[in-house]
Amino acid sequence: SGELTPNPITSLFSSLPVTSEQIEHLHRRFKQLSRDQLTIRKENFDSIPDLEFNPIRGKIVHAFFDRRNLRPESDGLADEINFEDFLTIMSYFRPIEMNMDEEQLDRFRKEKLKFLFHMYDSDHDGKITLQEYRNVVEELLSGNPHLEKDSARSIADGAMMEAASICVGQMGPDQVYEGITFEDFLKMWQGIDIETKMHVRFLNMETIAHCY
Amino acid sequence: EDVGSAVARVGAVWLALVLGLIVLPSALGVSLGISEAYMWVLVKTLEWATIRIEKGIKKPQPQILKAPATNGIIERDETPMEKEIARLHRVDFEFSDIFYFCRKGFEAIVDDEVTQRFSSEELVSWNLLTRTNVNFHYISLRLTVVWVIGVIVRYCFLLPLRFTLAAIGITSMIVGTTIVGQLPNSSLKNYLSELVHLTCSRILVRALSGTIRYHNRENKPQKGGICVANHTSPIDAIILTNDGCYAMVGQVHGGLMGVIQRATVKACPHVWFERSEIKDRHLVTERLREHVADKSKLPILIFPEGTCINNTSVMMFKKGSFEIGGTIYPVAIKYDPQFGDAFWNSSKYNIVSYLLRIMTSWAIVCNVWYMPPMVRKEGEDAVQFANRVRSAIARQGGLTELPWDGGLKRAKVKDTFKEEQQKNYSKMLVRNGSIG
Repeated sequence: SGELTPNPITSLFSSLPVTSEQIEHLHRRFKQLSRDQLTIRKENFDSIPDLEFNPIRGKIVHAFFDRRNLRPESDGLADEINFEDFLTIMSYFRPIEMNMDEEQLDRFRKEKLKFLFHMYDSDHDGKITLQEYRNVVEELLSGNPHLEKDSARSIADGAMMEAASICVGQMGPDQVYEGITFEDFLKMWQGIDIETKMHVRFLNMETIAHCY
Repeated sequence: EDVGSAVARVGAVWLALVLGLIVLPSALGVSLGISEAYMWVLVKTLEWATIRIEKGIKKPQPQILKAPATNGIIERDETPMEKEIARLHRVDFEFSDIFYFCRKGFEAIVDDEVTQRFSSEELVSWNLLTRTNVNFHYISLRLTVVWVIGVIVRYCFLLPLRFTLAAIGITSMIVGTTIVGQLPNSSLKNYLSELVHLTCSRILVRALSGTIRYHNRENKPQKGGICVANHTSPIDAIILTNDGCYAMVGQVHGGLMGVIQRATVKACPHVWFERSEIKDRHLVTERLREHVADKSKLPILIFPEGTCINNTSVMMFKKGSFEIGGTIYPVAIKYDPQFGDAFWNSSKYNIVSYLLRIMTSWAIVCNVWYMPPMVRKEGEDAVQFANRVRSAIARQGGLTELPWDGGLKRAKVKDTFKEEQQKNYSKMLVRNGSIG
């Protein structure tokens, strides 16, 4: 039923930093999610029970189809993604490798932050506006009936003000803060170690062999 | 004619051997030690085969052989939400909180705990049931020959033998219970019915080359009690009846199963429900309560998960069984997957292909632990009681506990779970004083 033969696939994906065993595992997972089709659509993520109770499930699934994450300099939303796209998104969550130099580490960090930025910036205009930020906070909090909608908004507003003060400094009374651009976003994260917060580590595959 | 008579003679010898070496000892409850010898040979062969494969791979051997404690392919971070979010408190914490949920979401997409439970447990070594465990690489001629011999033995020798035994077992069950059922109710009838049930169970267990180890037999379920166990396959019932007599509970089926049910209920008061009756929970509970109240009746056997799980975890117990009252005798059943995978994925395979697979595997090896009886405490409701029993079973059997419903094999998650997570998160925000 179309099993992977190791060599051609791993050479295709040699630019992506995953080992061939990890690729095979992910491929099996991909086939499970896509029900043996060649592409995955948004509906296929409905079959993951563990994902159901994640409050930002919508944003996570959306991130897989966001073309800005799939290829540099592209935009819009894809209807379906193939295995290569799936691996590309998964590679945003790879852990740091020991042999990375300064420049690689910096690029690594920027990629992860860009992924996060795209998650907030839902209208793809390159800025996180107050409204977009409010959306995220509301999604995170919407399950609690005791929390009024206003509270969610005031959290969002407070956060944006703090972001503005970091990025723009003191603002005059007539100045309007339009939104957090990606450069501002990077500024906010200076000094915080996100590389170890935003990764998924694969178990050592050689020790796990299995039967079909 | 010569061929005909030779075949007939071989057949007669074969049948005599089967009856003498297997059926008779089962009836008497005696073991000739054949199964033990068989298992010993099997284990030695498997070890040899695994070593050959590891030599053949020519990769540097892993320094630490991790026990398959996690059944997943990624390392899941078990840090609770509170800790994780407290750690990232610098900017305003909403920006960083999204990390936690983001990572959890990705972990779920790559490898989720629930779907794993519905696929068979992954094995660390090779059990000669498939070609090899390194994805169909050709290792050596010798190994392939061994595998081919294995196939021949399993399909041409073991399968017919098991089939014969199963046929004998089922037929004698039907015939025996029908005969006993004709007798008037008396202690003689009960004694004979127990004898018939036990003998046939033993024959059926041998039909599967089952090696069962029972632990803590002093806790065996008593009359008037309810026996509760985790469910992996339809043969769980046979495994338990091999060691004692129970009143089965279940739905009336058609076909061969229906014939067996109708015959056995005459000899022993099993509780079979019509399909329409099953829907009415009160009716079911009432009937079971009546049965349990009669202390002279055999303990009833219930599998509260409601469906087959792959024997690495125990899912949510349906509370119905725990509302009946009476004493609960928990039993934990753990299969050793090395010799044969007993898990039945009913949404993927039908019963016939499942039975075929079981009968062509090497053996069914399992451990059964009888646990001390439990009763519902004051102020405990059925759900809490069910969870308490479930934890005890999971701990004893070395299985993990999941708060999920076995019905998820086919259905979707309830919205209440998602709201629960959102509620927890927002509770934390309120507590940390970010509001007001």
